[in-house]
Amino acid sequence: MDIKVIFLIIIYSILIQNFVLSRFLGLCPFFGCSQKLSSAVGMGLAVIFVMVLASAITWILYTYLLDPATSVMGYMTANGVPPDLTFLRTIAFILVIASLVQFIEMFLQKKVPPLYRALGIYLPLITTNCAVLGVAVLNIDGFSAIGLNGKLTFLQSLVQGFAGGVGFLMVLVLMAGLREKLDLATIPESMKGIPVAFIMGGLMAIAFMGFSGLSI
Amino acid sequence: MITVVSSVIILGVIGIFFGACLAYASKIFYVQLDPRVEKIAESLPGANCGACGAAGCFSYAEGVVEGAFPANGCIPGGKDVATIIGGIMGCAVEELTPMKAVVNCKGGKKEARQKFEYMGVQDCKAAMLLAGGNKACEYGCLGFGNCVNVCQFQAITMGENGLPIVYPELCTGCGLCVKACPRGVISLIPQSQKIYVGCVNPEKGKAVKAVCEVGCLACGICANKNNNPSGDIVMEGGLPKISYQDNLRILPGATKCPTGTYVIDVTYPPVTYNQEKCNGCEGKPKPLCVKICPAKGCLTFDAERKKAVYDSSLCVGCELCISECPVVAFK
Amino acid sequence: MQRTIVQEFTKGIGSENPIFRLVLGLCPTLAVTTSLLNGLGMGLAATFVLLCSNTIVALIKGIVPPKIRIPIYIVVIATFVSITEMVMAAYTPDLHKALGIFVPLIVVNCIILGRAEAFAGKNGVFRSMIDGLGMGAGFTVALCTLATIREILGDGKLLGYPVMGQSFEPVLLMILPAGGFFVMGLLMAALKMKDLRADAMKRAQAIAEK
Repeated sequence: MDIKVIFLIIIYSILIQNFVLSRFLGLCPFFGCSQKLSSAVGMGLAVIFVMVLASAITWILYTYLLDPATSVMGYMTANGVPPDLTFLRTIAFILVIASLVQFIEMFLQKKVPPLYRALGIYLPLITTNCAVLGVAVLNIDGFSAIGLNGKLTFLQSLVQGFAGGVGFLMVLVLMAGLREKLDLATIPESMKGIPVAFIMGGLMAIAFMGFSGLSI
Repeated sequence: MITVVSSVIILGVIGIFFGACLAYASKIFYVQLDPRVEKIAESLPGANCGACGAAGCFSYAEGVVEGAFPANGCIPGGKDVATIIGGIMGCAVEELTPMKAVVNCKGGKKEARQKFEYMGVQDCKAAMLLAGGNKACEYGCLGFGNCVNVCQFQAITMGENGLPIVYPELCTGCGLCVKACPRGVISLIPQSQKIYVGCVNPEKGKAVKAVCEVGCLACGICANKNNNPSGDIVMEGGLPKISYQDNLRILPGATKCPTGTYVIDVTYPPVTYNQEKCNGCEGKPKPLCVKICPAKGCLTFDAERKKAVYDSSLCVGCELCISECPVVAFK
Repeated sequence: MQRTIVQEFTKGIGSENPIFRLVLGLCPTLAVTTSLLNGLGMGLAATFVLLCSNTIVALIKGIVPPKIRIPIYIVVIATFVSITEMVMAAYTPDLHKALGIFVPLIVVNCIILGRAEAFAGKNGVFRSMIDGLGMGAGFTVALCTLATIREILGDGKLLGYPVMGQSFEPVLLMILPAGGFFVMGLLMAALKMKDLRADAMKRAQAIAEK
């Protein structure tokens, strides 16, 4: 277990290659859910939870069922060589994520109804959040910026899922705070709402570009 | 071949596994939902305005099924939605008077004095925090548009003069703007009422005149028995209070207002005058019709010819002269 | 209100443009529009998936139990995305590499699931196909608009060919993430300005008629 790699993953996922501002993942809730600080925090925490669980389950599924190098499916074939089922990656991953979100929805509706009602329609929308499927695929494709060219290990996948979620939460909270202030400012009528939010996002992206010079 | 078989098996297994998990979970986390709640929620406008008193349309639907809210509680939905809900719940529905929001202030940038130039947050509540707002009148509309921002039906916009304009055709009477205004300048009146007071300043006379050209001076002329024979207008505090029955009953009092404080959103056709019938009300210092007419300059007395002179372009159509004239010269 | 077939197609490009009007599918929009070729490629890939998934969903909508329709739609879409992914990897490897992670992410493009749920699940096969084509065309048009602006300003090129003069200094920011946000924001503001004007005219007309 290489602590330095874990640390690099965290710093890169939150700051240097932020999931929203650098990788363009999770933009729909970034603009849709950031009008109020309370809903932004709720959404961000829900996404962290889903990203970690999704990273874990999809990694296990990919490693032991789809990837011919480590699959247990060798028992199925005549010559003991497991079939290469990596092309099923997209379908399998999205099935896992959809089921996971459905499960969380049911759980929240029963156990924490106020949070369920607060998140409203944004809860089932986590299924179509690019960041969740994105992190699952990124775990498999590797992290070339820090020298991890193959599939990440289980722990590294979990960390990337968690750090990506934290980065998403941070940017969402920043945007919500800014938008609440913008509501009270004098802006030309045609810029109010989504257009000025995009400009704010662009300015935040420039600010985060400052981290790209970081060398650890 | 093995790829096809194994991929079918793998996906099948994954699907069945997660399906079974979800089925099991739906049993454990089962939440009882009355189907009527769904049906009611579907029929609602979905604006979540809160006029019914519930926290959003779905809460109202739940409340109706529980019996906490009446079936005609959705004001923007009106009669149509009330009928549907009554049908789902199986109960009779009584009709509510359709209401609309009106702005009880005529003191815009032209008429009302400003204390200072305000360059802070463009929000009415925020402006009030700074020395009670930049308007000299401590009660009137500040014009930063909290009401405009909160309307779910695009029924209210900010006018050029710094006063909000309500479109009664689009207004559903939900009351969100009434609650949003920190000074209570907006109120709800029946849709059919077209005459209302354009001032909320309870002070009297010089104090009001100093801050606004069209503010109510509490002179009481509109409530005077001569100008307001129906008695629908009564002076209360420093402002007129209208018990609305019919627009025509309030029209004479409203027209007589010396500062033009009333908003009169309705026009009536002018009366017809037969000058030959007029006898100048002999024996009286002033003809009865000239005395009662609220519109300035509409009816004047020609002392030489001893007859009343009528200018139909100034007539407001209050028809008071018809009942006053002893020789029935008006129609 | 039944629309004509032509209207079904053109609504996707104009009044119900998925990016500018419905504000869906933002992730690939900002990510792949660094060059016109990438934008075009992504648009065509998404159109293909949209067309196929709308068709299949319209065909099976009768036999799908309503409670599990969303996961079934997702599986259908995922299948076509996997097909697209593999075809692109084989025949257009450069484009596949340029689009990177956003090819499998077509699955979670809100436009495709949204249309399957809102339209194909309730309408006939032919109409769903036209709707899919229209929405895909609208998506492609929006992507190309953004990509053109970003590539010309950020690179001085269009489709790889230099179009600005020798003395043109490209604004590198345009092809970075921040540029994408700015261009999108300004386009949305221009659209909103047009909308406000149309609203004011409509309101004035409605009042004048009363």
